[in-house]
Amino acid sequence: MRQVMALVLAGGGSERLSVLTAERAVSAVPFGGKYRVIDFVLSNCCHSEIRQVGILVQHAPTSLHDHIGAGRPWDLDHRGGGLMVLQPYLTRSHAGWYHGPADAIAQNWDLIEEHTPERLLVLSGDHVYRMDYRALLRAHVESGAGATVAVTRVPPEQSRRFGMATVERDGRLTALEEKPEQARTPFANMGVYVFEPAVLGERIRERPMDIVLDVLRPMLAAGVRVHAYAFEGYWEDVGTVGSYFRANLEAVGPDPRLVLHDPAWPLLTRDEERPPVMLGGHAVVEDGLVANGCRVDGTVRRAVLFPGVHVAAGAEVEDAVVMQDTRIEAGARVHHAILDKCVQVGERAIVGWGEVPAGPEHAWLEGLTLIGKDATITPGARIGRAAIVGIGAGAADLPGGELVAGAVTGNRPWYEGVV
Amino acid sequence: MSGARYAFILAGGMGSRLCLLSERRAKPAVPFGGKYRIIDFTLSNCVNSGIDDIGMLTQYRPTSLHEHIGTGRPWDLDRSRGGIQILQPSLGTVRSDWYHGTADAIFRNLVHLRRRRIEEVLVLSGDHVYKMDYNVLYAFHAASGAGATVAVTEVPEHAVSGFGILEADPTGRVTGFQEKPRRASSRLASMGVYLFDRDCLIRWLVEDAELSISSHDFGKDLLPRLVARGEPVYAYRFPDYWQDVGTLDSYYESNLAFLAMPPPLNLDDPDWVIHTQSADRPPVRFEHGARVERSMIANGCVVQGRVERSVLFPGVTVSRGAEVLDSIVMHDTFVGPGGRLDRAIVDKDVIIAEGARVGTGDGSIPNRACPEHLSSGLVVIGKGARLPAGLTVGRNARIGAFVTADRFTDAVPAGGVVDGPEPMH
Repeated sequence: MRQVMALVLAGGGSERLSVLTAERAVSAVPFGGKYRVIDFVLSNCCHSEIRQVGILVQHAPTSLHDHIGAGRPWDLDHRGGGLMVLQPYLTRSHAGWYHGPADAIAQNWDLIEEHTPERLLVLSGDHVYRMDYRALLRAHVESGAGATVAVTRVPPEQSRRFGMATVERDGRLTALEEKPEQARTPFANMGVYVFEPAVLGERIRERPMDIVLDVLRPMLAAGVRVHAYAFEGYWEDVGTVGSYFRANLEAVGPDPRLVLHDPAWPLLTRDEERPPVMLGGHAVVEDGLVANGCRVDGTVRRAVLFPGVHVAAGAEVEDAVVMQDTRIEAGARVHHAILDKCVQVGERAIVGWGEVPAGPEHAWLEGLTLIGKDATITPGARIGRAAIVGIGAGAADLPGGELVAGAVTGNRPWYEGVV
Repeated sequence: MSGARYAFILAGGMGSRLCLLSERRAKPAVPFGGKYRIIDFTLSNCVNSGIDDIGMLTQYRPTSLHEHIGTGRPWDLDRSRGGIQILQPSLGTVRSDWYHGTADAIFRNLVHLRRRRIEEVLVLSGDHVYKMDYNVLYAFHAASGAGATVAVTEVPEHAVSGFGILEADPTGRVTGFQEKPRRASSRLASMGVYLFDRDCLIRWLVEDAELSISSHDFGKDLLPRLVARGEPVYAYRFPDYWQDVGTLDSYYESNLAFLAMPPPLNLDDPDWVIHTQSADRPPVRFEHGARVERSMIANGCVVQGRVERSVLFPGVTVSRGAEVLDSIVMHDTFVGPGGRLDRAIVDKDVIIAEGARVGTGDGSIPNRACPEHLSSGLVVIGKGARLPAGLTVGRNARIGAFVTADRFTDAVPAGGVVDGPEPMH
């Protein structure tokens, strides 16, 4: 696998993840109680013995940079340089924001060619799955295709979320359709591709923007052999609030399809040194994933708690994802919610209060309440279902100590208190 | 005070009173506090105090210590200059031999002071649990003009016979030093933390090495001798928590003490992180029907049954219907369905098969093989032991490391002993 270069597309900031991605890329969103979304792909690369990884970044990359560092957790900090973070750059002749994933690759094509990889593996940093890329690469080489697209079966009613691939019996991929209302095929494009560099290079010269529209479809039109590789395991695109929430909760249910515990394929991340989980005398924890550094004196059910979360006595956290160092004070209740890091939920406050708001404009939240990082929910305040509390929000954003279902407050800059 | 710092850490201790826990590892490598090893406290004290040039002296069964320290990465001690160096006993040096006492061990490594531009030498023990900013000790040392400063802590009167006991005048100058006295007028115990003036240390160690009557130990001869002849030795009174986890009982009690609120020592202080070597493990998974109470549970554990007043190290599984009560369970041990641990210390990689019950019945019969260490009702199970389904193990029993299931023909009675295979060496 030494001659394979992986390119991880991690530049996106999904609008559909709202406050969670206002200040970070989707790939950098915390996941599974101690990980970030991109850990899945980087761990896959590490265990698949891929030693050269380029990460293409653009949207709010700071927390991604922080997380990846020199790539040590994934053994990418080796001599010869395993990790390249490829950011948009200026030249004398052009200002190069990336206008899509294919454009991001195109703008770095000189650098990619310099490394003379035998194969290019193009991945999305926004997906949650465990996959041995070696099997994919073997199938690609054996088929002699110019490009291979990994596909996974999805139920027909889900086809609207995905690009769907038509696959022949012999494994050839003949058509790609973006988010069709009616599914003609069970196979969704996973956004995992293998390319022969020369074949991709030809498309790159045409200044493509999108991989499906400007790279794969023209390849098919030009008669390039494109194969599909069917992947059987769990795979989820966590780019929406609902899919993100369900994928997290998947890990706490019985017989999870998403296994975080496999010693043969450990999920690798930049770990912080925190003490073991402390459980108080009246703690109740059931169907939960709770990371080191947490302290639980209250009740936690069907929830994922990241490092350093405190749940005080008499507090209740159910059906929730609670990120790093968030504090839930005594008697507070959190239901059907995603709380970002360093949130303070004051005593007796309620997050996820009342009924789910009617109206299609709220449907995308699937009844979940979102609390942006560093927000303070004042003691006794009530935050309705499918409401969004902005980053750094405080008492002034919750007049009367209440935010009704479906309401939204703005984000506040962190330096507001300083200036 | 000079800028450069250097510390020797004595990590060769046998910890013989820890029984099975240190049978196959040095005392500093004994797991402690739910995810740490005892040495982590001293190493973290060093790096948190800005000391990143360390020589660690090993002798007794160093393998698991070496594995734990590795390149020193968790402590940021994997450095181009300085960092951590393992100083093992060796052949071909001025005196080729084992280390004979703490002073002898440092004497044989004096060469490491040769080119270091330091004015003081810190000598630490790797056997204790405490958080200490050594800068305070350096400042005290400099202000007193001492040749040697000994950090001391107050111990209860009944405990003086377990420690080196110092008498000091109001300025802190040491006027008496007795190693493990039966009775003493002072309750100031040496913590095994010494700061020496570099040249004094060299002079005193060279002198001590030539004394044939000396046992070449800091506590037994060297420091008492220096005090007796009026050398400037000072005592620095350390006000905070310090624990010598010397015996099985104190090991058990001091681990469980961390379940109290507040704990005796804050492990969750972002300004004084206790660093350790952690494997990549997922968060703790509490399944449906899990019941937990006042416990400390590390990443990688899976809890389906009941856990009360216990400490679980990474990767422990407590199956459905199993109960872990008042126990300490180390890495990757598996407690099968319906299994039960009551007041047990269980080492790593043990399998408690379905329905096996550990810690039952009468607690008044001391252990047959080591009654002096194992009589308070605890059960100790060595690393890698396999307990067959349905087995019962009485209190004060000792199950050796790597005991296989076929070694059990019957229930293990209170105070019973089941020995595992002898270590190859």
